[in-house]
Amino acid sequence: MVASQKFSDAEIDSFGEALNDTKKPLKARFRALFILRNIGCDRSVDWIGKCLNDESALLKHELAYCLGQMQNKHAIPTLVSVLEDEKQEPMVRHEAGEALGAIADPSVKDVLRKYAQDPCPEVSETCQIALGRVEWVEKSGKDTNSPYDSVDPTPSASTSDVEELAATLIDASLPLFDRYRAMFSLRNIKTDKSIKALAQGLYCEDSALFRHEVAYVLGQLQSPVATQELKDRLLLSTENCMVRHECAEALGAIANEECTEILKQYVNDEERVVRESCEVALDMAEYENSDDLQYAHV
Amino acid sequence: MSEDHHDEEQFDSAESGAAATFPKQCSALRKNEHVMIRGRPCKIVEMSTSKTGKHGHAKVHMVAIDIFTTKKLEDICPSTHNMDVPVVKRREYILMSIEDGFCSLMDPESCELKDDLKMPEGDLGNTIREALEKDEGSVLVQVVAACGEEAILGYKISTKE
Repeated sequence: MVASQKFSDAEIDSFGEALNDTKKPLKARFRALFILRNIGCDRSVDWIGKCLNDESALLKHELAYCLGQMQNKHAIPTLVSVLEDEKQEPMVRHEAGEALGAIADPSVKDVLRKYAQDPCPEVSETCQIALGRVEWVEKSGKDTNSPYDSVDPTPSASTSDVEELAATLIDASLPLFDRYRAMFSLRNIKTDKSIKALAQGLYCEDSALFRHEVAYVLGQLQSPVATQELKDRLLLSTENCMVRHECAEALGAIANEECTEILKQYVNDEERVVRESCEVALDMAEYENSDDLQYAHV
Repeated sequence: MSEDHHDEEQFDSAESGAAATFPKQCSALRKNEHVMIRGRPCKIVEMSTSKTGKHGHAKVHMVAIDIFTTKKLEDICPSTHNMDVPVVKRREYILMSIEDGFCSLMDPESCELKDDLKMPEGDLGNTIREALEKDEGSVLVQVVAACGEEAILGYKISTKE
C-alpha cells in the first residue's frame, strides 16, 4: 500500500465542497466522496454528514455506507439520526444501520435493538444483522476480515464446502446473519462454481436486503460468470430499487462491453435510483477500463 | 537449493513447449519479482496501490525493467487480476574463451560445454573481456534464461581452486 497522503484542512474542505456541490454531476460527487472516505478523519466525516440532506437517495445511501466503512466513531450521532429519521428512504436508513454495525461500538446496541423491530423490512433486517456483528466483534475481539478493502456486515462462515455454503445461502428458514456468512465464504472461495452458487441468492424472494447484498458481493467479484443473473434482476421493473441499483453497480464493476451495453439501456430508467446507479456504474466501468490509477482523484 | 532446482524444472518444461510463464494475482506480486509487461520478461522495481472505490477494488501501478534490454516498462492492472510471471532460470558458467564475439562456456558441475551465447555489447562485455585477459581467477558469467531468450547478464571472478 502507498503511504497515506496527508491533506491539509483546506484540501479536505475543497473535496467536501465538491461533494456538496449540487451543480456537479453525480459521478464527480461520488469520486469526491471516496477521496473523503479514504482520508477518514473527523473533518471528512463532518463534510460527508453535511450532505445527508441531498435530494439523491443514491448519494445519501453511499454517504452512510462510507461513514460506516471509515469506522470512525465520530460518525455515530449522525448515523443514529439518519436511522431514526423516517423521512429518509429505506435504502438510506438501511445503510445507516449497517454503518453502525460496521463501526461496531457497543454503545449503539440499544438503538439497533430498537430498529430491529422497524416496520420497514430493509431496516429491521439490517439492524438485526448489525446487532449480530457488534456482538460478534465484542465476543471474538476480532474484526470481520475481507480480502477487499471493505468492512463486511458479518464474518465469513467456518466451512469451505461450496455445496454446503450454497445450501445455507438460499435456505430462507435460517437467520440472515448465517446466510450472509455463507455469502462471504462463497465470495472468498472465488471459483466459477462458488460464484454461480452465490448468484442463485439473487432469486431468494424472501428478502430484498439479502438480494441486494448478493448483488454487491458479485460486484466485488467482478466475474462475468454472474452477468446473466445480475441482468435478470436489473431488468425486472418490479424488483426493489435497492436490488436493481446494486445489480447496476455490479455490472459497472465487471466493466466488460456486454455489461456497459446493458447499463446504457437503463441510464434513463423511470426509477431515479436506477438511473443514477447506471450513471455511476458507467463511470466506474470507464475507470476500470482506463489507465487511471486512482478512481477517487480530483 | 530446492528452489533453484524447481526453477530449472520449470524452465526445462518451458523449453519443451510448455508454459514459459505462470499466472499470479497482481496484488501478490512484490518489488524485485518478475512479471511480463507487454510480452517482455521484466523485474519489478517500483509498485504502488491505488485507493479504493465502492467495491473495495484497487489498481496496482508497476514500473519494471526488461531483464534483457534493461528498458523501463510500466503497467497498471486491477489488483485482483492475474498477471503472467516468467519462469526465469539463472545459471553460472565458467568463461573459457571468446571467439568471434561468441563465448565458450563450461558448466562447472557437469563440465559440459556451451558456445551459443554472444558476449554482451557495451560496458558489461568490455569488463568481462578485461577480466578474462587479466587472468586473476576464473571468470564466472551469470546466464539468465526466460521466455526462450538467454543472455549473459553479469559476472564475477572466482579465485577458488
